[in-house]
This record gives sequence, C-alpha cells and structure tokens, in this order.
Amino acid sequence: MKNTWVLVRRYFSQEVRNSNVLFSLGLYLVGVAYLIYLLNGGGVPADKVWNSLLWMVVFFGAIQLSSRSFEYESNDYFYYYQTIAGPAATIIAKLLFNGGYIAVISGTTWGLFSIFFGNPVFNTALFGLALLLGSVGCSVVLTLTSGVAQRTQGNATLGAILALPLLLPILQLTSVLNLQAIVGVPTVEALNLLVSLAALDLGIGLLAYLLFPYLWQD
Amino acid sequence: MKGLPYKIAGLLLILFSLSYGLWTKVPELPIIEQSIRNLFYHVSMWFAMVAMMAASFGSAIGFLTSENLALDRRSISLAETGMFFSVMGLLTGMLWAKFTWGAWWTNDPKLNGTAITMLIYLAYFVLRNSIDDPRKRARISGVYNIFAFVMMIVFIGILPRMTDSLHPGNGGNPGFNSYDLDNRLRLVFYPAVLGWILLGTWISALRYRIRNLEE
Repeated sequence: MKNTWVLVRRYFSQEVRNSNVLFSLGLYLVGVAYLIYLLNGGGVPADKVWNSLLWMVVFFGAIQLSSRSFEYESNDYFYYYQTIAGPAATIIAKLLFNGGYIAVISGTTWGLFSIFFGNPVFNTALFGLALLLGSVGCSVVLTLTSGVAQRTQGNATLGAILALPLLLPILQLTSVLNLQAIVGVPTVEALNLLVSLAALDLGIGLLAYLLFPYLWQD
Repeated sequence: MKGLPYKIAGLLLILFSLSYGLWTKVPELPIIEQSIRNLFYHVSMWFAMVAMMAASFGSAIGFLTSENLALDRRSISLAETGMFFSVMGLLTGMLWAKFTWGAWWTNDPKLNGTAITMLIYLAYFVLRNSIDDPRKRARISGVYNIFAFVMMIVFIGILPRMTDSLHPGNGGNPGFNSYDLDNRLRLVFYPAVLGWILLGTWISALRYRIRNLEE
C-alpha cells in the first residue's frame, strides 16, 4: 500500500514537471470545445447532443492520455520499478493515477462546455458522480489495454483499437446516467443504475488487477 | 475418425432442426407470422457463439495458469469458430429484421451488443497478428481474451435488460417461451442449439489440429 502511494505521487509529480504534456492536453480540450462552438455556429446543442459531444471530447482525451501511460516505463525502467514495487502496486497506482486524470479531464470539459454552450445539468451531484464513476471505468479499460499495446512494442493505434469496443459498455451506462441527471431525475431513482456502474467498475478493476501480472512475465 | 459419435450426432441434430423446423406447426401471430421459425436458425447461432467464446475464454484461463501452448491454440481456434457463428447470427437476424421491423438495422441494445462483440473479437485477432513470439502472443492475447469475454457478457447479457428494446424477450416483449405452450418450438430449438454447438466443436477441433501441424 505504501508503495502504491509513492508511485501515485511519482506519476503526478512527473506529470506536473513535464508541463509540456499537461499544457498540450489543456490546449486540446479548449481547442476542441471551441471548434465545436464554431462548427455549431455559436448555437446551443440539444441535451443529447451536448452529452455525446462531451463524451467524444473526454474519450479522445483519455485515449491520448492512456497511449503514453507506459511511455516512461519502456523496458529497463519498467523492470526497475517492477522489481522494487511489484506488479500489484504498479497496477493499482496506474489505475488511481489514470482515473484521477480522466476525472480531471471530464470535469474540465464539463466546465468548458458550460462556458461555451451553457450548463443544462439539473441534478449536478448525480452528473458529477456519474462522470467520476465513468472515469474510473475508462481508466481500468485504458490502463489494461495500453499495457497490452505497450507489450506489442508500442503500437499506439493498437491501443485505441483494443480499448474502443471495451469502453462502450461503460460509456453507454454512464451516458444514460448523465442524461438522467440533465433531465433532473432525483439521485434516489437513479440509484439502481449508479450501483450497476459502480459494480461494473469494481468488477473489471479486480479483473485487471488479477490479469496485469501475466502481462509482464518474460 | 476420432469422436465419430458426437460428429454424427451433431450433423443429425442439425439436419433434423433444418428440415423439421420448416415443417413443424408454429403459433400463428400477427406481424411475426412464419418468421417465428427464425428462432431455430437465428437464436441457435447465438447460443453456439456464446458456447464457443466461453470455451475460448476457459482455454485462455487454462493457458495463463498452465503455460501450455496447446491451450492457446485451442483458444484462438474456438474464438474463430465463434466469430463465424456471430456472422451467421447477424445475417439471419438482419434478414428477419427486414421482414418484421422493416429495416436491416435498428438502434437496439441487442444489435449494438452484437456489433460490439464482433469489434471486440476482431480487435483480438488484430492483436494476435501483431505479436510474433508465440509464448508472448499467447500470454498477452490470453489476458485480452479474458477481459474481453467478461465485457461482452456484460454488454450482451446485462445492459439490454436495463434498457428498452424491440427485440423479442427484451424490454417487456414476450420471448418465445410464452407462445410455446405445447413445447413444439422447444422440440426443434434445443436440438438445433446442441447440434450447432457440436458442429462448432468439430470445426474448432479441425482448426486446432491444423495449427498443431503448423507449429
């Protein structure tokens, strides 16, 4: 557990120190949000379109983030970290880091969309919770698939191909919840879906945790 | 010939379901009419597909725990056969949808689930082709296979029950069970499922043996 926190802190400090990457991700989010604004002629999209555009932006941001998830750990570095921290601590740290990161991406996108297109969300707490759970689920899938892609000698497009179909169940469930939050369904009535999404996150998280060590045996 | 009894049994069951399925009496229902017979040809494809994919998933787990490369060859052979059944299930389903719903494709959870399943396993084949070392390929694609199968079950088995659907047996629509009062449909449907699963086992076994010879 201690190792995990050390690793998470290291990932974050590495990210902050490498401000170039952070800056380009921010620029991507602002750029795409503004591009949608321009293409839409400054109008306000309907709720469903607003929601799907939000997820498209988050989706590509998350894919971009995960494609360099194992960038710093190619070969020698990776074995070094594996030996001192172990695969279990590594996967948990990666999941937490990616999950936190994708949550920040989706929160930022929500903020940007609110500026450009207005905020149609009625039940803010439910929307935020769905966004958080969706980010965790995306993080699990993307961490595992980018690990898989990394092992095939860093083929970046392969990561996206592998992740796309696996992300759809999570994104669909999350987006149903988001739409309910927009319409203003009380949180209690959406509890069933929320619990399902949380259970799905937990289940695939556990599966990724069990499978991860097998990726790194040579 | 090895396993002759199960091969003959499979063929006989398929022959029985193909012929008797056309000729047996079916419940008369509006809109669906005679197309209810697609139960024997279309739904049995999905049962066979899930059986193949489940066996492939089991073999992948077997490989990861035993490091026996033969299990990996079995896993990919079964997944390929499963893919074949999913293509057949898709085509028979599209034909049925054209006559019953009036469109080849609709935005329905069942259909989306099918599309995702095919994408997942196509990605699995792409992944396998991009790794040369057999042991590494077996391990990495095994990990993906296990994860993918669980996601597929979630997507085709759990999500459609939570959303609305036009498909029989979902979203408040009755499945065939409620029409099949005298077990006449079951009499053809279950043999069809069993027959196609046996045939799928045979196809996979052949592909597995070709792989063994290639190694």
